[in-house]
Amino acid sequence: MATTPRSGGSNSGAAQRPNGTSQNKSCQFKLVLLGESAVGKSSLVLRFVKGQFHEYQESTIGAAFLTQTICIEDTVVKFEIWDTAGQERYHSLAPMYYRGAQAAIVVYDIQNQDSFQRAKTWVKELHKQASPNIVIALAGNKADLSNIRVVEFDEAKQYAEENGLLFMETSAKTGMNVNDIFLAIAKKLPKNDNNQGSVIKPNGNEPTQTTNNCCK
Amino acid sequence: MANRAPMLRIGQQDLKCRQGCGYYGNTQFDGLCSKCFRERNDKQRKKQRASEYHEAANSAGGSIERRSPQHSLSLDRVKKKQQQQQQHESDSSPVATASTMPRKKFTVPAVLQKTLKNTFPAAVAQQQQHQPRIPSATESQFMLQLRQLRLPDDAKRKLKSEIQRLDHEIRKYMNNHSSKNVDELSDLVQNAYTRFADIVHNDARFEIATNEDRESAIDFFEKVVMTQNHNLLFSPYFTTDEESDIKVQKRIRQLSWITSKHLDCSIDEVNAEARDLVYNAISELVGIDSYYSPQEKLLCTVRCCRHIFELLKSSKGGPASADDFLPALIFVVLKANPVRLHSNLNFVNRFTIASRVMSGEGGYYFTNLCSAIAFIENLNNESLSIGADEFESLMSGAQAFSTPWESALLACESLHLISENMKCMEQLQKRNTAISNGIKDFERELLEFQREVTEKVDTVMAKAPLTLLPIKTPPHLIAQARAHLAQDGVEAAVGHYSSNLLSGAHNQHSLIAAKGKEKEKPVEEAQLEASHTLSLKDTSVSSVGRLSPLHHQLAQTDQLFASPLFNNYTPFDAVSLLEESSEHADVLMLGHEFQGGLTNINYDFDLSDQSGDNSVADDPKLNLDEFDPLAQRGIPKAPVVAETSVLDTTLDSLIDSDVPATGVLLPSPLKPEVANYRGFSNFDIPSISCNTGDFSSLNQDVNDPGQPTNNK
Repeated sequence: MATTPRSGGSNSGAAQRPNGTSQNKSCQFKLVLLGESAVGKSSLVLRFVKGQFHEYQESTIGAAFLTQTICIEDTVVKFEIWDTAGQERYHSLAPMYYRGAQAAIVVYDIQNQDSFQRAKTWVKELHKQASPNIVIALAGNKADLSNIRVVEFDEAKQYAEENGLLFMETSAKTGMNVNDIFLAIAKKLPKNDNNQGSVIKPNGNEPTQTTNNCCK
Repeated sequence: MANRAPMLRIGQQDLKCRQGCGYYGNTQFDGLCSKCFRERNDKQRKKQRASEYHEAANSAGGSIERRSPQHSLSLDRVKKKQQQQQQHESDSSPVATASTMPRKKFTVPAVLQKTLKNTFPAAVAQQQQHQPRIPSATESQFMLQLRQLRLPDDAKRKLKSEIQRLDHEIRKYMNNHSSKNVDELSDLVQNAYTRFADIVHNDARFEIATNEDRESAIDFFEKVVMTQNHNLLFSPYFTTDEESDIKVQKRIRQLSWITSKHLDCSIDEVNAEARDLVYNAISELVGIDSYYSPQEKLLCTVRCCRHIFELLKSSKGGPASADDFLPALIFVVLKANPVRLHSNLNFVNRFTIASRVMSGEGGYYFTNLCSAIAFIENLNNESLSIGADEFESLMSGAQAFSTPWESALLACESLHLISENMKCMEQLQKRNTAISNGIKDFERELLEFQREVTEKVDTVMAKAPLTLLPIKTPPHLIAQARAHLAQDGVEAAVGHYSSNLLSGAHNQHSLIAAKGKEKEKPVEEAQLEASHTLSLKDTSVSSVGRLSPLHHQLAQTDQLFASPLFNNYTPFDAVSLLEESSEHADVLMLGHEFQGGLTNINYDFDLSDQSGDNSVADDPKLNLDEFDPLAQRGIPKAPVVAETSVLDTTLDSLIDSDVPATGVLLPSPLKPEVANYRGFSNFDIPSISCNTGDFSSLNQDVNDPGQPTNNK
């Protein structure tokens, strides 16, 4: 599962060092997943990270903490995705998770009006408590079931625009918009500074959809 | 946890007596075993008395000063010690304020040693005075690790100097600041980390190092400083960490009634496999306290959480999300109730590189652990979705509770016992089967042996069969007799033959008797009788071979001519032409006078078994039934019996027609009786079973006048 940034880096890093500075910038971002339970937060991440839905590999121990590296233009972006417990009773613990996060995806279920309302409270809370330049995306999941939708696309879209959120309807099942929403976040994130304080080893030019292991 | 020891939080080495005598030490004895402790105490007392004496002589205030720990340290002892050891001095001279001391006395035993040091620094200082300076195991380990780092030598030197610098800064802060603030301390350390990271990434000495080596240099820096200053930085006395520890521990104890259902988590508490995984997670969680450096504590947290993920994976069938994970972690924390929880969390939060807890897998799990504890501390009835009243009564202990977890632990004990017993039983059963197998084998061997012996005996017997040859009339006599018969006429033959017989040893008496009779009888009869005798003799030669001598004995010795064989053989007898007269001959032969003589010749007269049944014994046989108990119980029923009786009657008619008197004349019915008895006994047992259900036989029995009494 989530490989540490250090793993496997010694060889390629050593090889690249003599060149001095690398040609690619690299950033590491902490992304928090918020949303009511059972809206498909972890399915979304699993689809993004492993390209899977329901067919889990043996190696996938948990879906709570996952990393994925994507490349945008000349920048390598490593997402570190922190899942949170969606149950109401754990709501008050959320600040611990989004402390220091650069991005957040607030997920709701388009079949569930309550989950949309909860999503709104999350957004409000993030605006209030999270770091001010956090990038927030709103994801209406289970878009494959749009025929029985409860939350209208336009309604959500309008809300997102009003609050300055990225918005997409996604489907972890079909893979619709899953990569796109992460890409959109990556584009919106400031890439000039690495506020993690740790230098990530630069990777080569990789296609956008790769796992860490493929990047080597 | 009752029957499963949680992972040791202290290494085996730490448990041993510090004196190295091999026995286990005790924290109450300063890590010494009882013996070494007493010895040391004696020495100390002596020394103290001596020095006291000395000091008292020198200055009057000396003894008073020593009672105050700070002062005693700052006095001459410190000076002496400083020459020996710089580090230990600062370790043992925390300027514990008098106000914190009494509180510290009553803390968990694990911190007792530290507390002791704080409370009685004088004693500790004394103790250290006696011990020569030896680099601790961890220190030498660090030296080794430093050597192994893939860094240039000057980088290593820089690293070492940075470590010493931070070391020094920490001690300086701890010793000199009058009002201490843990946040200041934390900032100090964090700044040092940032500074060192700067050096590592930008200093020329680290130029050729790879990113990984830089990372390990930073790791090493943090690890060494934290491990060496663990006792200063971990739960510092000027913080409220220990109170928080005790509070949360109490809280968790109060919450012991919480089940996985309350938390809405998918741990199956009664599943043995799940419980094992929970135990693994608990062991790791408890083990966090046993590591010194924050990195190790974080790694331990990660291991704990991975166990939980495994657990959830097996119960959910897929990778668990945070929705499942956080409740499970809370459950594990509740069941583990780790010691010094807050102290550990705060230690990591304050003194590890900030990014470690903000990002990365370790950071994520650490955040989860922190939020789990926050949840536990702020937990109320709503967070468990139960009524406020129920929550109150459960918390206060008014309402009894029995969680599956507790009962599973209890059940565990008894199940353990059961399984022990089962194992014992199994072994016993194994032994039992082994024994019965042995018995069977032995039985088989025995049978085999028996069979072998029988076989051998049989082969031996087959090799050397017991053949009973008939007692032969000297062949020349027979030949003579035949020759006479052939040569002479019938009458002449009679004469010759009788004379031959006379000469034969066996027949003497009978022939004498016959002769006696012959005198009275017509010549013809004597002649006939002689011919019969001859014929019988001839046939007997052929038949004797298959008959046992015993049988001969049993056969009626005196019934020479009563046998049906007599009739049967007559056709072969060339001489026996006069059937009619045979009866007469019988009568004559069975006379009383013949008894002795006939007994002697009974071998010659040997006949088949039938002779017993068919002979003159017929008459007595009827009587026998009445006397023979076996015959009576045994039934007149068996078909064979019926057959023989039929045979009997037919034969009776043949034989007895002229011999009604012979029955009376017969001296003893006993011999035929034996023959009968044997015959019946063969059918005895089956006929009993027959009889029980067979009414027809019953009727017959009733009809039979001779048997009613014994009939069932």
